[in-house]
Amino acid sequence: MKKKKKFLSSVEPYLWLLPSMLLMAIFILVPIFEVFRISLSQVTRSGLIKGFTGLDNFEKVLKGSTFSMVLQNTLVWTVVVVGLSTLIGFILALVLNNQFRGRKLARAVVVFPWATSLIIQAGVWKFIIDTDYGALNTLLIRLGILQSAANWTPTPAAYFAWECWVGIFVTIPFVTFCVLSGLQSIDSSFYEAATVDGATFWQQLFRITLPLVKPSLTVSTVLNIIYVFNSFPIIWTITKGDPANRTDTLVTYLYKLAFYKGKSGEAAAVSVIGFLILCACASVYMVVSLRREGNDE
Amino acid sequence: MSKKKEEIILKKAKTPKQKALRVCLYVSVAVMTLIILYPYLVMFSTALKSRAEIYAADGTIFPVVWLWENFTDIWSKAPLLRYFLNSVIVAGGSTMIAILCGIPAAYALARMKFKGQKFFLGLVIISQMFSPVVLLIGIYRVMSTLNMTDSLLGLVFINAAFNQAFAIWLLRGAFISISPDMEQAARIDGCNKVQAMIKVLLPMAAPGIVTTLIFIFINAWNEYTIALTLISTDLKKPLTVGITIFNGYNMIEWQYLFAASLFATIPVIILFLCIEKHLVSGLASGGVKG
Repeated sequence: MKKKKKFLSSVEPYLWLLPSMLLMAIFILVPIFEVFRISLSQVTRSGLIKGFTGLDNFEKVLKGSTFSMVLQNTLVWTVVVVGLSTLIGFILALVLNNQFRGRKLARAVVVFPWATSLIIQAGVWKFIIDTDYGALNTLLIRLGILQSAANWTPTPAAYFAWECWVGIFVTIPFVTFCVLSGLQSIDSSFYEAATVDGATFWQQLFRITLPLVKPSLTVSTVLNIIYVFNSFPIIWTITKGDPANRTDTLVTYLYKLAFYKGKSGEAAAVSVIGFLILCACASVYMVVSLRREGNDE
Repeated sequence: MSKKKEEIILKKAKTPKQKALRVCLYVSVAVMTLIILYPYLVMFSTALKSRAEIYAADGTIFPVVWLWENFTDIWSKAPLLRYFLNSVIVAGGSTMIAILCGIPAAYALARMKFKGQKFFLGLVIISQMFSPVVLLIGIYRVMSTLNMTDSLLGLVFINAAFNQAFAIWLLRGAFISISPDMEQAARIDGCNKVQAMIKVLLPMAAPGIVTTLIFIFINAWNEYTIALTLISTDLKKPLTVGITIFNGYNMIEWQYLFAASLFATIPVIILFLCIEKHLVSGLASGGVKG
């Protein structure tokens, strides 16, 4: 009897975890497994798996020059969007952390891009930058800044830059709110003491603010790297990765491979590569957060 | 911040340098607000124009003729009500499942000590690393096997699964911030663990739970890629996919697209504003303590 009770109490936590684990196992773990399996298999256009082919799919993907361009785009996309949105979001948080009239309203406005579906946000920006009837041209002409309609997207690179801008635009709020939550937990006596000691604004920023909001900033940066790396709707809506893959990132590229070209095997190989890159990020995050937990104890 | 402190700050603001800084502050806030609101303004103004006005050579910022009927016309131009209901079903259903699975898991992680706890927390974080997009091919295959490719139920499960990490994370943060003393008192009074959780912990954690609910609801509501891939029947599409019906092959009906977009966006923004404060502290506590 006693033994049974002991057994029960040792299993109990796992029973509490069971529904959650089942849900994640079926709809996340199995797909992960499937992606790996497909990447190593020969797949017909209709989706039938025909058997193990080793690294054939990877070879096919890596062979052309397309993949290296797509990978480069993904890298630029992730670094530019996460980097700039973190910088701007951080500055915005510093501004919003001040006491001023209308602060609540300003904070509410910052929430907007976060709450809006990416597909809608991307649709609006596609309209704004259009050369023929876009809202940006209309606005600048009516304000007298431009004489005639400008072509905002003369090259694929220009399109890509605009896509990065939309990415930054929608990512800023998350950074701002993470940093704001960090800022609010800082005891104002730190600043009072620093002011008494004659510390300048920059000294206060680098010696007090930055070290103390570092945990929030780490969380937001790591999560954003994952979200932005995997972001699909913005590029899909504005250019679909065209012309000729010039604005493709890994996810739009693999989507086209899988669902337009019927090359599931190669698409899965791209998935796995994207996967491994994210795994590297994940392990960095784990090391950082575990070390922090270790410091807490 | 206390009133006294505010007074001090306002007093400080009277030196010339501080005054200049104040002006800078207001200007930068105003500029930022305008930039953020610009796309919404464009959406609103365009939604009220006629197609001819939108495609006219000499466009105007605001509509010349304000076509309010665009907002009523869209409901007959497309099965928008159906899309709307589908979105409600998907977002509502996945929120329910995510929370029902998430609460016991978060409870165990917050209140019990067991082998593999760190491992499981790590797993939760890692599961967040994999967005559904990267796994689309695998998901598609699993859903085919389960016969759920073209069904709302499939979307419900996928959204619930991919929001598990956030649910557990936010809920665990909320549970940890509540002292276990009250539950222990209830246990002494004869409640079992489940009763103590339901009667004592959950009501106290209500703000955190509501925040989590709304957050997952919004995530599922705004989800686009999986729905785009899995759903092929027009009448089963959620709003995010459905509104692209105005995105024709030759000509985009911008006025209808944006009118429908506004209907899809405004409720979510209102919901988000309700939880804004809680969400941020929840994210921070879950993350920092994680």
